[in-house]
Amino acid sequence: MAPSLLHPPSQLSPAAALELSQQAPALLQSSPSTVSSSPLGAIFSASESPELWIKYENLLLSCLRTGDDLAAQQCLERLAARFGEDNERIMAFRGLVKEADAQHPGKLEAVLKDYEEILKENDTNIPITKRRVALLRSMGRVSEAVSALVQLLDFSPTDAEGWSELADLYLSQGMYPQAIYALEEVVILAPNAWNIHARLGEMQYMAATASGAGGSSYQKHMAESLKRFSRSIELCDDYLRGYYGLKLVTARLLKESGKPAKQNDEGGLRLPDTSTIERLNELATAKLSEIVRHSTAGDRGWRGYDEVEVAAARELLSEDASAASRIER
Amino acid sequence: MTWISKAITLFGAVLLGHACYSAQEHSALQSFKAATATLTSSSLAVASLPVDIAIETVIAIIVILFGLVLGTRPLRPIQWRVWAGKIEREGEEGFMDNDGEVNKDFVGNPFKFLETRPGFVDIRKQRKEFASWVKTSSAQ
Repeated sequence: MAPSLLHPPSQLSPAAALELSQQAPALLQSSPSTVSSSPLGAIFSASESPELWIKYENLLLSCLRTGDDLAAQQCLERLAARFGEDNERIMAFRGLVKEADAQHPGKLEAVLKDYEEILKENDTNIPITKRRVALLRSMGRVSEAVSALVQLLDFSPTDAEGWSELADLYLSQGMYPQAIYALEEVVILAPNAWNIHARLGEMQYMAATASGAGGSSYQKHMAESLKRFSRSIELCDDYLRGYYGLKLVTARLLKESGKPAKQNDEGGLRLPDTSTIERLNELATAKLSEIVRHSTAGDRGWRGYDEVEVAAARELLSEDASAASRIER
Repeated sequence: MTWISKAITLFGAVLLGHACYSAQEHSALQSFKAATATLTSSSLAVASLPVDIAIETVIAIIVILFGLVLGTRPLRPIQWRVWAGKIEREGEEGFMDNDGEVNKDFVGNPFKFLETRPGFVDIRKQRKEFASWVKTSSAQ
């Protein structure tokens, strides 16, 4: 699957990013260097499409990543010529280029100061606020990043991306309850996002394993995790990540079911009984093996999965099979 | 699949053309007959279209419609979980049109940005990772 310039490149592998940035000279050459923004000019000059600007943005990000600063600068100049220097998005990209160029911490401090100058003039500049948070995090000043992000969410509480970043920041600090709270906000803003439900399930599972099997919150986290993974599957057929998580959680619960755990009703959420968990585990195993089988064979209509994820699922299944055969013996 | 639909549509178009031609010929014949009838001063024949031409027209239109419907793209799923499952399972392949081009509006999982978070990208880390990837891949 060839990477497309129309999609944001932040999740691509290095090889794919390199492939994208190698398209830069061709794209920069083939498209007009200036597109007039005035309506009169638009009649005479070449027509522009929204895709062109998306391509420039993604090309800018890919080129910065691969170190092709010249092409990145060119993309930025064209974007700036079209949308103006005072466009908030362009300001953020300009900052991004400066960040990428910065060789030593002093330069980074200067960039940070620039951001603060911009925010002093207009403290509702969301792209710049986000860049500032990202830069603080990148410099290792996590607590400052968190407080800046909380401030952003204070005046823009419907920013799902911000909440998601906050959850990730808290998670990196091991603050599970806060991270879960932030991610639940994302779920409220995007209730159909199946990947966020799966992510929340993963976080709950992490919180459960971190608190240890004896902890009082353990049961609650496991029940929540089970619920979240089930929801992600409900929202998306054949969701590998959801089934993987479901299998992980149910297998752990079944392994512990030998010793009766005390159920506390205070959490509001109870674990389902053992037979239900067993059925869920069987379902997850069946679905995962189906996905792995089809995906390995490269069947038509099953090629969308990530190879790494399929390999992980295969490993989980083989682990499970070897554990089962050990029990039988 | 496409050539079948194209053939059926073409066949329907031929039928329709034939029906039109027949109707035109019929009316020409009728007016010629009427002209000769006035010359011989006999009663004026009422010119109505024969029923077989009407039937041919209707059948031609049905055949054309059938051919066109056969040639349309498969419908997109309207259930959320089916649609989402299609994205996960098939990736880009599931959203191609007949020419093998991926649809322009296909973006994969539309909620992916909540996990990749392009607004908070840590470009210095990405650059470092890329540089080390280049080093390891060139060493091999």
